[in-house]
Amino acid sequence: MSKLKLYTAIYVVLFVLATGQTLVEFAGLDYWVGLWVILGLSFVKALFVAVYYQHLRWEPRSVSFVMLVGLLAALALTIAASYSIL
Amino acid sequence: MSAEAEQSTDHGHGLPPASSVKRWLVTTNHKDVGILYTVTALFFLVFGGVLALLMRIQLWTPGEGFLAAVSYNQAVSAHGLIMIFWFLSPFAFGFANYVVPLQIGARDLAFPRLNALSYWLYLFSGILFGVSFFQGGTFAGGWTMYAPLNIPVYTPNIGASTAVLALVLFVASVTVSSVNFLTSMHRMRAEGMTLRRMPLFSWTILLTVWMMLFAFAALLAALLILSSDRLLGTQYFAATDAGGSLLWAHLFWFFGHPEVYIVFFPALGVMAETFQTFTGRRIVGRKWFIAAMVLVALQSFVVWMHHMFLTSINLQIKTLFMATTIGISLPFDLMVFALIYTLIKGRVRFTTPFLFSFGALVLFIIGGITGVFLGAVVLDYEFRGTYWVVAHFHYVMVGGVTALFGGLYYWFPKMTGKMYDEFLGKVHFALYFVGFNLLYFPMFLAWETPRRDFVYPEAFVSLHQLSTVGGFILGASFLVMFYNLSKSLLVGEEAGDNPWAYSVTTEWALPSPPPLENFPGRPTFETGMLEFRRGPGGTERSGVEAADGGEPTADGGEPSTDGGAAYVAEIEAESGHDEDHASPWPFAIGLASFVALLGFSGLQQGGFPTGLSGGFYAGLTGGGLVLLGWTLVRLARERFNGPVGPFGESWPFENVENTKLGVWLFLASDVVLFGAFIGSYVFIRVAHGWTDWHDLIPEAHVVLPGLINTYLLLTSSFAVVLALVAAERESRWGLVASLGLTFALGVAFLVNKALEWLHLFDLHGGAFAGGWLPSTNVASSTFYLTTGLHGLHVIAGLFISLYLIARAWGGAYLDDERPVEYFGLYWHFVDIVWLFLFPLFYIL
Amino acid sequence: MSSGVGASVPVGVLVESVGIPAQSGGGLVPRGSRVEVFQQIFEVFLVLGTLVGVVVVGYMTYNAYKYRDRDDRGDADDGIDAPRVGELPTGSGGGRKLFYSFGLSTILVVSLILWTYGTLLYVEQDPPGDAEEDLEVEVVGYRFGWDFVYPNGHTSETLRVPEGETVHLEVTSDDVFHTFGVPELRVKTDAIPGQRTSTWFVANETGSYEVRCFELCGAGHSYMTADVEVVEPRTFESWYADTSNESETANESNSSARPPEEVVG
Ligand SMILES: [Cu+2]
Repeated sequence: MSKLKLYTAIYVVLFVLATGQTLVEFAGLDYWVGLWVILGLSFVKALFVAVYYQHLRWEPRSVSFVMLVGLLAALALTIAASYSIL
Repeated sequence: MSAEAEQSTDHGHGLPPASSVKRWLVTTNHKDVGILYTVTALFFLVFGGVLALLMRIQLWTPGEGFLAAVSYNQAVSAHGLIMIFWFLSPFAFGFANYVVPLQIGARDLAFPRLNALSYWLYLFSGILFGVSFFQGGTFAGGWTMYAPLNIPVYTPNIGASTAVLALVLFVASVTVSSVNFLTSMHRMRAEGMTLRRMPLFSWTILLTVWMMLFAFAALLAALLILSSDRLLGTQYFAATDAGGSLLWAHLFWFFGHPEVYIVFFPALGVMAETFQTFTGRRIVGRKWFIAAMVLVALQSFVVWMHHMFLTSINLQIKTLFMATTIGISLPFDLMVFALIYTLIKGRVRFTTPFLFSFGALVLFIIGGITGVFLGAVVLDYEFRGTYWVVAHFHYVMVGGVTALFGGLYYWFPKMTGKMYDEFLGKVHFALYFVGFNLLYFPMFLAWETPRRDFVYPEAFVSLHQLSTVGGFILGASFLVMFYNLSKSLLVGEEAGDNPWAYSVTTEWALPSPPPLENFPGRPTFETGMLEFRRGPGGTERSGVEAADGGEPTADGGEPSTDGGAAYVAEIEAESGHDEDHASPWPFAIGLASFVALLGFSGLQQGGFPTGLSGGFYAGLTGGGLVLLGWTLVRLARERFNGPVGPFGESWPFENVENTKLGVWLFLASDVVLFGAFIGSYVFIRVAHGWTDWHDLIPEAHVVLPGLINTYLLLTSSFAVVLALVAAERESRWGLVASLGLTFALGVAFLVNKALEWLHLFDLHGGAFAGGWLPSTNVASSTFYLTTGLHGLHVIAGLFISLYLIARAWGGAYLDDERPVEYFGLYWHFVDIVWLFLFPLFYIL
Repeated sequence: MSSGVGASVPVGVLVESVGIPAQSGGGLVPRGSRVEVFQQIFEVFLVLGTLVGVVVVGYMTYNAYKYRDRDDRGDADDGIDAPRVGELPTGSGGGRKLFYSFGLSTILVVSLILWTYGTLLYVEQDPPGDAEEDLEVEVVGYRFGWDFVYPNGHTSETLRVPEGETVHLEVTSDDVFHTFGVPELRVKTDAIPGQRTSTWFVANETGSYEVRCFELCGAGHSYMTADVEVVEPRTFESWYADTSNESETANESNSSARPPEEVVG
């Protein structure tokens, strides 16, 4: 029962964050500040979905670790490749 | 073991005898699949080898002659692609399939049908590549497929597209295989077989499949983008784009460098096993050997730019990648020394497998030393694109292949029950080793020859002729091998269970070949020695009594097939069903994919050309897709009992059930796939100028459709959560309604997207008077392709949800809600991806 | 101990070799023209590489032979427990020796690479000559040839440069990925569409050299050549003064008059 409440609360949070993320663009922030805020919000939302909806919280840490390795590989590619031509 | 004995072990699994063709089409048993891989890989060895000989004939004298320029380029490209993709890894995975489950004490891989599917996708991808030769010629841009030579402006033949699609299918095979091996090796080891105690061959395969899981996902991204550029007309790699050419190099080498270790590690594993067996000594510094390999596997993902030292990358990044490159060479020194020191005080027997492994180590040392030359960036500048590189990587990669042939001789008795002819084996080695060095060593001396050129300085003529002679000797050595092995298969001596003294690993404690269920009882290493247990609580034991490589015997009798039969009966009694070893659907799915992809190859600019050939390709696509859908459903509906637990050792995934782990591993590779797509977008945008990007996007591209879709997907994710809760509460209608809601929201997502796209396609006036199409510019290309790939994931999810709804309607999942949970994992992942695509493609 | 795999020798060779480059720039780091720099480093690598290779392969072959299984060798003389089928894999001792050799090889490889890194920095950042007066030529690769664009706009299919002076090249491509290289002058860089790479070289002898393409670029790849003509500085000056913002006509063509592209890869 309480789990269902938790899931509902997270749904509401996600909904609000998505809306907020869109509003950041119109908040008149500096472009680069806005960029990092917006991407940060995406990570927060992703974390909520992964941790609660995908139950990573209740799985062995090793599963999260595998996903993290995949994420790190993709980040390494993106960052190093982009940096190489700066 | 003779044919009668084998038949008697089949216990009516619905698996036809080995002599019938049907057996090989339906089998899902890991040992059969291993044999299929081995035989098929050897076929591709001959294919790729003949192409190499054509090249060597061309190089007898400088200049065009034997082959036309285009044919030469095709031979160069196809040789590389076939050897690296369709020969090297599949050959190693023949052994991996056969041996790894035996070594770790598993009755089969976790998903036997997926294992068969991997094989059939592999075979059909190879056939597809073969077909490409007949569609105006195959791909001719080198195995590295550098952009923009790889787009239709420069390589317009349909065969080139088919070759790319063949690779896509091959990657599908590899991904399925990686997920399967990872699940099996992590979850299904016998008691006491901890990771620390795993045999080194299994260790190399474990690390190989980990690298495969991530590296091939990056290759898949590169190939999908390339396919889209070729077939749908997107503009990633067009020469007009500032970053396209470099983007390909980044994506390709991000995959390409781990690939070097992916093909080499299994060879290292064979070396480690054969060195230990034929020196009669356990390896020196075993744990450091393993640690070194783990380090290499991790580091392999951060060295890729050493293939790009002469591109426009900056000095800082060159320095960084020079450092990581040197770093990754060092663990190999340790491994080489460990193998060498294992010889000392051993009882070295120069059997054919050992000769090949020993030879492989010599070749690898030469390849490694010449590789250090390339690590010095100043030298690399001059070696780039020359025969130094060609010679170096053939010493490393074909050096590895040398060890794999040692593996073939080593395990041939186990796989066939027959002993090969030792004398002919040694003749093979002698010819092979002489031919190899005669072929590749002169290349170091003629290193100033540009790679992939057939025009070279007169001064190198005699060196190249020496090479050509060596090539033919190397080729001829395989005639000896094929003769030896096929003759031995027919009339060879019985090999017995364990023809090698001092071998250690489990496969040698089993009959040759092992029965279908592998073991005479539940294997366990609980006491530190292999034992097979039967009976309630494992009270009835049969140990392996083996002094100095003696025959293993079971207590109270022979470890015969009879023991196997008793074990099978026990498995049946325990799990309530027989284990299956046959399914026709993996083959059918492979065939369907082949047909569909062959159809896709006819696409141009997103449509099929009119006329007969266009209709032909369109028909193939449609027919293939229908067949694919139907066979997938049949596979899902088929009752198939794979191996079930409890398993002995499952670290570090003790509480993650096999299928769930499989789903997670698949998602991990999908993270890299989408990561590479997003990385490509970021890279191209940085190359173009991050903020100038806005000039490429029409005013009509607004945030709202994206935001609506974000709401829709978030809500659909919540609906899946509700479905799982309903299933747990055994509410059939709640389950159907929640899944129905998910489906409806997913459809709404797609409809909204379709409306948005149609609107953008159909712009009038302004900067994009002709509409904003996928082919308009790089921004539109990245937008349509990345969100399109996501859309395909949504569509796949919708098909799965339809299947679930249909089954839930009939009352399924109430007692076992796991399929709903696993679908949820996938669906939430698709949701998460959108959470990143939305800001990247709509807001920023 | 023979397990040192000759790694103790290299240190001496290294020190010695470091003395050789001194003539052409002084100090540890090889400097000079690209030909000189390459030659010095390549030789050191070749000598050390051969030495290490011979010692290691010799050592392993010797041991494989020495410890071959013979009938007259009883199990008594080793007295160790032989591996048995069904045992859990373990290792043998000998870790210390392993680490000594590993350490030595690490020192050897790392010091070699660091030594060449100095040259890399020199090559990348500090080419010799007075940058103000240096000739800078733009190189454009296309299927299947090379265009050389001089600062005055003169375009040629032959790269004519003065002897003994540093020439800077800005390299790009008009179509696919090529690699510009003049093997004899040891200058090479990728020609990438949409990107520019820069490199430099000095030719110390007059004569003709061949430019080749080092990245597969299509059917004409093997024939994608051009000439470098190194002439006396004075000859160069007078030739260059006569050129104008036009391309050489006659049998040479500029980029707009290229032969139609061969479409088959
Ligand atoms: Cu070229």
